[in-house]
Amino acid sequence: MRKFNIKDLILDGITYLFSSVSLILLVIIFIFIFQKGFSSLNLELFTSPYWSENYYASIPASNNTYLLKSTLDSNEYYSEKFGIALKDDFNARNEAIVVISYVHPDSPFNELTNSTSGANEGQIITAQEGMIVNKISYINSNGVTRSAGLVIKQMAEDTINTIEKSDQLDSVFLQTQGGGILGSLIATIMLILISLLISLPIGIMTAIYLNEYAKYNRFTPWIRSSIELLTGVPSIVFGLMGVLVLFPITSVFGASGTSILLGGLTLSIILLPVIIRTTEESLKVVPDSFREASHSLGANHSQTIFKIIIPAALPGILTATILSIGRIIGESAALIYTMGTYISDKPELLKGATSLAVQIWSIMNGDQPNFGLASAISIIILVMVLVMNIGVKVLTRSKVKKW
Amino acid sequence: MENSFSINNLNLFYGDKQALKNISMDISRYEVTAFIGPSGCGKSTLLRCLNRMNDLIPNVRIEGDIVFDQENINKDKIDVVQLRTRVGMVFQKPNPFPMSIYENVVYGLRCQNIKDKNVLNKVCENSLRKAALWDEVKDRLNDNAYGLSGGQQQRLCIARAIAMEPEVILMDEPTSALDPIATAKIEELIQELKKDYTIIIVTHSMHQAARISDKTAFFLMGEVIEMGETRNLFHVPKDKRTEDYITGRFG
Repeated sequence: MRKFNIKDLILDGITYLFSSVSLILLVIIFIFIFQKGFSSLNLELFTSPYWSENYYASIPASNNTYLLKSTLDSNEYYSEKFGIALKDDFNARNEAIVVISYVHPDSPFNELTNSTSGANEGQIITAQEGMIVNKISYINSNGVTRSAGLVIKQMAEDTINTIEKSDQLDSVFLQTQGGGILGSLIATIMLILISLLISLPIGIMTAIYLNEYAKYNRFTPWIRSSIELLTGVPSIVFGLMGVLVLFPITSVFGASGTSILLGGLTLSIILLPVIIRTTEESLKVVPDSFREASHSLGANHSQTIFKIIIPAALPGILTATILSIGRIIGESAALIYTMGTYISDKPELLKGATSLAVQIWSIMNGDQPNFGLASAISIIILVMVLVMNIGVKVLTRSKVKKW
Repeated sequence: MENSFSINNLNLFYGDKQALKNISMDISRYEVTAFIGPSGCGKSTLLRCLNRMNDLIPNVRIEGDIVFDQENINKDKIDVVQLRTRVGMVFQKPNPFPMSIYENVVYGLRCQNIKDKNVLNKVCENSLRKAALWDEVKDRLNDNAYGLSGGQQQRLCIARAIAMEPEVILMDEPTSALDPIATAKIEELIQELKKDYTIIIVTHSMHQAARISDKTAFFLMGEVIEMGETRNLFHVPKDKRTEDYITGRFG
């Protein structure tokens, strides 16, 4: 008797241990990602482009002094002559940079003239907090143009001291910080819209056909098992298929290579089995008594389906939609071939771009992997997927049978 | 009295299993006819033949004639939708659709492409009045039907059937899921409805059959053992098996 108890105890122990392993692993992953990414996480991430923009701009003359009304931090250095404060900082790759920390409202830096040749030459640029100052050219007492700033290895304090000695500034080389996810965010939303637009109608109609029209058909089991098979195909194979089979379709619309459209088409095929199965499950739950009642009132088959069955199955169809969105956000392998890995700040339907997940891949794939940004995007993806899953939970709970 | 249905030599098979054997009976108009018998005896199956609901079940084969309004409804070419608008049905469990009370009542009309608001409103009110539900729901017609009690839901289902202005209402154990008070209300309603409609009711309760029906048919193993005036069948059963069943010796 006692021996038996010990054996039970050991088995119980093993069960507890192993079941907690997955939980512990999950928690560790979360902690690490949050540790790495949390400092990079801010609102600007969502609104700023990934690639930094360079501005070479001339500074208007001024002979005012701009007195500081508020106090600055100890690491900020202010030039009263030109109304600008600089500070030392590090960029995402841990390189030392000098950024603007304050611009006086009347400062000449508010009205810079873009002198980079190109379409935007001559436009007025405003120096903004957070922009990187690489070089400020000034005219010294001999009337000779000289440079100050990062290009001659001056940090914030030296740069300010140098330009304070001068009476007139000539030009400034500014750089936006970049490293944002705006482009990928837009591309992901476009991807979601395209894939859902294609796969939802096809998937829902297929599920309706299988469950309502062809319930006892000889071919239904075959269709069903091929759908099951599709679920098991690795997504990278779908990616390859997208390149080989679907690319000709997108080229009809004018795509010359990887494109968001191609990615969307490929993803919609990946989503089909998920949507069909989830929708079918929700159709099965609709009680037969609804079908009988509808028929007994003289409704025909399609009236019964579209007026009664589909509305009753709507929570399940919504669940399928949310699950699909989660899948789209998380998918990467199939998109590397079909949408490319070049991070685009202005995504277009027929051009390549990255989704959030692929942006992580691109960032980590370079010579200098940017762990901070990658982790920050991971957090965003995790939160999105988490919200989706909670949404599914809420929906399925509200669906609790009233009938 | 005029016949509503004339059933002649009806046989029904689920695959290889025969569920109804040589059924022949006449059902009179403006009367309540009750089908009684133990579970699985075929009474619901016969009821579902009368509005072709068995079409929804695969592998059902039906032989024989069911004449309704001088037409054999057991033929392939009849208009099933039209038949079902003339022969309404109420089911065992209240099964309103998950939509508003109003939409439940006018659902059948909407399926006939009737869109005139005045017609729909009028039919809705009349049907609910006939189903003795109007006073209880007139202020909340747009509420979900699942907010009603079980008995109210079942009366809503009756109103929904009445809205089609059928000639016959089939009732498949309409009170088996209801409490005694709701049951009494439905039974009272059936007595009321019989003035305008032919009612055929399947019931498990012999007392219910005795209370509300004019004629009763006793089913056993897919056969009609005995059919006649309810009073006669319960007081002077001709067949031994009927007597055994109504005295509670089996079933």
